Amino acid sequence: MKQVNITDEERAKALSPTKKPEVMEKQKLNVRYHVENYNTADRPRRFLEAFAVILKYSNYRFALEHFIRMSAKCARCTVQCPISQVSGDMRDIPCYRSELLLSVYRRHFTIGGLWKGRLLGKDYLTDEKIEEMADAFWNCTACKRCTIECPSGIDHGLIAHLGRYILSEIGIAPRALVVSVREQLEGKTGNTSAIPVPALIDTLEFLEEDMKEAKGIDIKFPLDVEGCDFVFFPAVSDFLMEAETLMGIAAVFTATGGSWTTGTGYFDGINYGLFYSDRMLERIVKKVHAEAVRLKGKSILIGECGHASRSAKYFVPTYCGGESALPVYNIMEYTYRVFKEGRLKLDPNVVTEPVAYHDPCNIARQGWIIDQPREILKAFCKNYVEMEPKGADNICCGGGGGTVSIDEVRPYRTSIAGKVKAEQIRSTGCKYLVAPCANCKKQLRELVEDQKVDCEVVGLHDLIYKAIIFDNTANNKQSAK
Amino acid sequence: MDTFLEFASGSLFRLSFAIMAMGLLRILVLDIWAAIEAYKRAGDKNVPWNQAFRKTIAWLFPVSKVLNSRPAYSLLSIFFHIGLIIIPIFLYAHVQLWKGGIGFGWFTLPKLWADYLTLGTIIFGLALFIGRIVNRASLYISRKQDFLWPLLLIIPFITGYLCANLNLMPKYYDVFMLMHILSGDLIFILMPFTKIAHCVIMPLSQFILALAWRFPPNTDEPICATLNKKGTPV
Repeated sequence: MKQVNITDEERAKALSPTKKPEVMEKQKLNVRYHVENYNTADRPRRFLEAFAVILKYSNYRFALEHFIRMSAKCARCTVQCPISQVSGDMRDIPCYRSELLLSVYRRHFTIGGLWKGRLLGKDYLTDEKIEEMADAFWNCTACKRCTIECPSGIDHGLIAHLGRYILSEIGIAPRALVVSVREQLEGKTGNTSAIPVPALIDTLEFLEEDMKEAKGIDIKFPLDVEGCDFVFFPAVSDFLMEAETLMGIAAVFTATGGSWTTGTGYFDGINYGLFYSDRMLERIVKKVHAEAVRLKGKSILIGECGHASRSAKYFVPTYCGGESALPVYNIMEYTYRVFKEGRLKLDPNVVTEPVAYHDPCNIARQGWIIDQPREILKAFCKNYVEMEPKGADNICCGGGGGTVSIDEVRPYRTSIAGKVKAEQIRSTGCKYLVAPCANCKKQLRELVEDQKVDCEVVGLHDLIYKAIIFDNTANNKQSAK
Repeated sequence: MDTFLEFASGSLFRLSFAIMAMGLLRILVLDIWAAIEAYKRAGDKNVPWNQAFRKTIAWLFPVSKVLNSRPAYSLLSIFFHIGLIIIPIFLYAHVQLWKGGIGFGWFTLPKLWADYLTLGTIIFGLALFIGRIVNRASLYISRKQDFLWPLLLIIPFITGYLCANLNLMPKYYDVFMLMHILSGDLIFILMPFTKIAHCVIMPLSQFILALAWRFPPNTDEPICATLNKKGTPV
């Protein structure tokens, strides 16, 4: 990873407080993100209670036991972490951050730690340590780049995930995420962007008219069709902000005769539970699966969104019946398949500017989707340029782990967390930066704006929409499965 | 002195070896047991074992990994580990001791190789210690044991080399031999209780990593009930 430095001015701006001192005092919390008012009394005891309950009902204990014995403190993770490299703050070293929680586990949940604590009477969890964890775990973008180079096999992403979960159980979680999940699970609209069904229908009709005008044929967004091959869940914010991506997806299905639908009962792929609470993660995943089952769909299809794809792909089997759960696909898997079958025709003369591809961590880090979008892009983009490192070793956009939805930390995201990415993009000289993830797109747009990088951030299907050829559509209606 | 030597290489050695063997075996069994339990509870049983196996091999022989992060430190660490594993097991004098104790021996290193490897291990251990001190990040995150282990580990190598190669007066020979055996005994005793336990559980790491994100289903309700959160808004 290329060494990137920031100026003192940038650092001061990125790390400046975003809240009034009286709020921080009232909440006993010196963090940059906003938190809803919560019970601040007796936090260490409540933290430990929540930790104990989570350990009892989860699978974390076996991993923590392994991690505390394995941790060698070699600092290899430091080199891999784009935040640590830019901030230069020792507290951003992944292994240091993980140790915050591992030391609590070692002291309070192992026999040795309990005895040592009783005999020496020290290292009891303090308010200060809770405050440090509340800051540290949300400075991390959960990109898990540190984990791939850890010889001890310590998953710092898992530890940050667990730390956030425990903190959320005592009321410490970013307000932006909590409010969205509340609307999604208990609100009238049932989705994170609070889009009512009539507004959804209006939007889709508007897009259909737009596509008719642009392409000259009927391209539909099927709603509530039962028995389709795919029940579609984009990041719901796409309905407001990523019209081109949605139109590209609809165009691909129309051109290839795919069988798909969106359900009006539930149509949000976003799952912020992945970022701060397994309980919320489970509830949201179950909503997705239930809607697909209601529509008698054969599979769940997630739009261009990394975290939505990962949370469905890996947690639908977990929470919805293992092997009997519906299979989950990302839209790029469908598009790649029809492309390889020769059913998707793309005009190679439309996109002539330099194009680069950004790997969203949630779909690339484990090697799930890396080559498929590249192969498609190389087929119709004359001037495709590659970023290094890429694929499973990619650099995070700087807004991962839910931080992109926390608007008050934008200076941190674009000056520190995304700084390496900005330089990586700049060095490609690309005109279009393809980022098939709603979170990455938002972050990267803010990043290129703040870091003054001259390029346009788009989705894969945005470019496909520009170049798609509707070739003998009627004959192209073989099964989409 | 003879009594001390006899005690250190006899009763104390057997005790420390037993502590090490049983301690490490306990950790290994507990780790595997906990992983099996976690697998049973997991809602998604589709774990990428093959990928975990491939990664395990890659980390046991980390040739492809070494240049990715802190290459100098990583290379030193690999050489240090090679010395730590090879010398105690394949040194002629050690094998002869085993032969006397259990009745059979195995392949031994030629003396010249053993000497070079011993000297290398000492140098690599010292370099690792210095590397930990001079690297800011490493220094910041290190615990006491992280500084002490390289130094403790090279003591039996230094003393062993002195005993094997220098024409020392018998009095000094005995002192160094006692230090050699006692430091070895101490290392054995500490192994199961410190990070050196990784010598047996390291091959499990990638499997545990693969399994760690396989959560049990239906945890929302019992957690809510235990934390008195049933019915409370999100």
